[in-house]
Amino acid sequence: MALSACGGDKQDKSDGADFARQGAFPSTYKADEAAPVLIRGATVLTGTGEQLNNTDVLLKDGKIAAVGEDLKAPKKGMVVEGAGKWVTPGIIDVHSHLGDYPAPAIESSQDGNEMTSPNTAEVWAEHSVWTQDPQFALALAGGVTTLQILPGSANLFGGRGVTLKNVPGRSVQDMKFPGAPYGLKMACGENPKRVYGGKGSAPSTRMGNVAGYRQAWIEASAYRDKWDNYEKNGGEEPDRNLQMETLAGVLNGDILVHNHCYRGEEMAIMMDVAEEFGFQISTFHHAVEAYKVADLLAENNVCAAMWADWWGFKHEAFDMTEANIAIVDQAKACALIHSDSAVGIQHLNEETAKAMVAGQRAGFHIEPRHAAVWMTLNPAKSLGIDDVTGSLEKGKMADVVVWSGNPFSVYSKAEKVFIDGNLMYDRDNPERQPHSDFELGILDAEGERLPEGGER
Amino acid sequence: MKMKQLLKMGVLASVFFTAPVALAETLLIKGAKVITLSDQGTLQIGDVLVKDGRIAQIADDLGTMTADLVIDGRGKVVTPGLIAPNSELGLTEIGAAASTNDGAIEDSSIGAGFNPVVAFNPHSTLIPFNRAGGVTRAVVVPNSQQKIFAGQGFGIKLTGDFDSVTDRALLQKIYFGEYGASLAGGSRARAYAQIQAALGQAKEYADNRDAVRRGEWRDLDFSIADLESLQPLLSGEQSLLVNADRASDILQLLALAKQFDLKLIIEGASEGWMVAEQLAAARVPVVIDAMSNTPTAFEKLGARLDNAALLHKAGVTVVIGGPGYAGTHNSYLSRQGAGNAVAYGLPFEEGVRTITANVAQVFGLEGGVLVPGGAAELVLWSGDPLEVTSFAELVVIDGKPQSLENRSTRLRDRYLHPGAGTGHGYKK
Repeated sequence: MALSACGGDKQDKSDGADFARQGAFPSTYKADEAAPVLIRGATVLTGTGEQLNNTDVLLKDGKIAAVGEDLKAPKKGMVVEGAGKWVTPGIIDVHSHLGDYPAPAIESSQDGNEMTSPNTAEVWAEHSVWTQDPQFALALAGGVTTLQILPGSANLFGGRGVTLKNVPGRSVQDMKFPGAPYGLKMACGENPKRVYGGKGSAPSTRMGNVAGYRQAWIEASAYRDKWDNYEKNGGEEPDRNLQMETLAGVLNGDILVHNHCYRGEEMAIMMDVAEEFGFQISTFHHAVEAYKVADLLAENNVCAAMWADWWGFKHEAFDMTEANIAIVDQAKACALIHSDSAVGIQHLNEETAKAMVAGQRAGFHIEPRHAAVWMTLNPAKSLGIDDVTGSLEKGKMADVVVWSGNPFSVYSKAEKVFIDGNLMYDRDNPERQPHSDFELGILDAEGERLPEGGER
Repeated sequence: MKMKQLLKMGVLASVFFTAPVALAETLLIKGAKVITLSDQGTLQIGDVLVKDGRIAQIADDLGTMTADLVIDGRGKVVTPGLIAPNSELGLTEIGAAASTNDGAIEDSSIGAGFNPVVAFNPHSTLIPFNRAGGVTRAVVVPNSQQKIFAGQGFGIKLTGDFDSVTDRALLQKIYFGEYGASLAGGSRARAYAQIQAALGQAKEYADNRDAVRRGEWRDLDFSIADLESLQPLLSGEQSLLVNADRASDILQLLALAKQFDLKLIIEGASEGWMVAEQLAAARVPVVIDAMSNTPTAFEKLGARLDNAALLHKAGVTVVIGGPGYAGTHNSYLSRQGAGNAVAYGLPFEEGVRTITANVAQVFGLEGGVLVPGGAAELVLWSGDPLEVTSFAELVVIDGKPQSLENRSTRLRDRYLHPGAGTGHGYKK
């Protein structure tokens, strides 16, 4: 699989050591063989900035086969009458903790934040994921086909995130997005300094945070050089170090940096840190002040993942403007919506709608066809999977949502959700609504969590 | 209202003045869809005349009447102002900054007697922000981190004025369910026993006030301040707002309300749909988060998106609060919650009612409906008031158009086109 330049299966190309270890817990996800699907005569938001009216979308062999007018219905397969309906690419959430902070949220299930050291780059979120979290299915009903599960934000280096297809799986490998690059979660600001400062250890200030990042990158650079030297000149094989492997994977471009960072000042500093050590930041998450540095984000080719309107829960979230996404977007930086919430992930279309209207009210000309990019293609870019998903382009994965109406209306619902051309969710058919193990025999010994027909 | 402020309101494109006055005594909205939620129902195209802070007339067409401010409402929708049912507006600024929070106390000695009304700050940044989102009134409720009794809640208007507290002691807030159990020492049974004991002793105290005060009565477990503060509950002057999500918890509270003849309001009620018939029969209303459908706690295993619709269908009065994840800061998002409730089966007009009229009715506040002679608290929306793509173009409290500016719009305008240099610092 060819993945975009900012990550992916670079270990095949690079001569250096395999720091990313893509093969250690490999994806075992294999889409079922999918019969062709023709969605006929719908309003299509392509995810590339286009709106096509009365248009057909053909899914074949798990891929987008064609988008156009008067496409021929497949002999064997499904035809979805699209009159009045809208079609978008599957929604992608780059910031989720489903599985790591599952429902129900009891003490023993809090597996998302390894709050034991400012640097836990050695932990991998996928090793915490409880695949039976009933919240995955709720996100699917909201049109989410791909999501990145991140470790929490207590640490300067929280560990590796993992990108999943939103499909049922017995193991997390069954859900792993084939070939998706790993992400390294970093966190700026209040959380790390509060957690460790509160324990009387470093960091206890923002300057302590930055010293912590820089020290770690110095060590990681040395680790990478040691391995590069070994690969090139031989000699005694260096000892492996899990923490350093993740950081070195960033330095050689195989692992993407997903940096929780609210403030404009801190984003600017973090871009300088990246410059100093020669790596690229993929995306700032929770970037409440991205609008203040939108030009810098554009210059440095860094995405900003934002909420529509969250604010005020901490000081670094105080300077919120609802026009954030629109301002970042108009400054030609890569702008996207994200949730960090098991409820928000179910309504990313509504969140995008609010951000779109805030942009219109700010005087920018933003139409649904463009705003859709904030929840599909730009998140795919952020995760380094944009050449295989995120838009309705021929040859891409058939990750597609059929909406009952304009997805930017509060009344519209995802009616059908396809992943790799398979109907993974159908609002009209309880047989095509996944239930996790947790939901069986709970509340009703002979039934599921909610009675059939219950609106989950 | 100052001219400059009015000009910044954004509705001015469609506003024209018939008299050169800065302070609108009369306000006329013409040609809007008017959802009155009163006997007048919904006018598909109607006029609303506001005079001296009250609604003067609502009719299909009031003709070419003179008013200090006339607003073209064509294609737009008028509703009563939104009322936040369970906010901490004016008690919090930044959630994680302790010094900016006045909604809870660590010293539990005054328990039920705690009333944060004197801590209320009408200049909080949350007030203009939520007002711009269409919120005109709110119920402000304390929370608790130590005892199941959180204290008393009060009512406010979102004018930002020093005199904007409207009701000083509306309700008593108590926690039941999982959180109440944890505060009470580990079991719901203990929480229930504590509520029962407090109410029982409050009654005992009321019947033997002088003897208790003289020290000629048995020792009671609660302070006189607490027992006094529970009297309005027993007399029905105050409501009892109790958190409970699990169906069985709700049934227990219905029994408690019956025992003490309380005006009970259930907050949470994720599994309310399971006991909707019982809630309806007991005439107990619920305050719900209509978007809370994750089984995030064992007491919420039955959480579902059509909870509001099922409760309403059974005859329960439903109030919708802001989505839990957004909290007080975004109380105005109750309308997104109501929109989702409508998407999942609640009739549209009832959806509007859950964030306006029902809130006023349940908490005993003025407002919430548009009726001649009633409070002139209304919002002119750019479109469907429950749509996420609609927004408030005009917010009227006490008959006066309110400023819609706030930190969000100020920051937006300052950084509309971000760039290097120091220039942004000189943008107002």
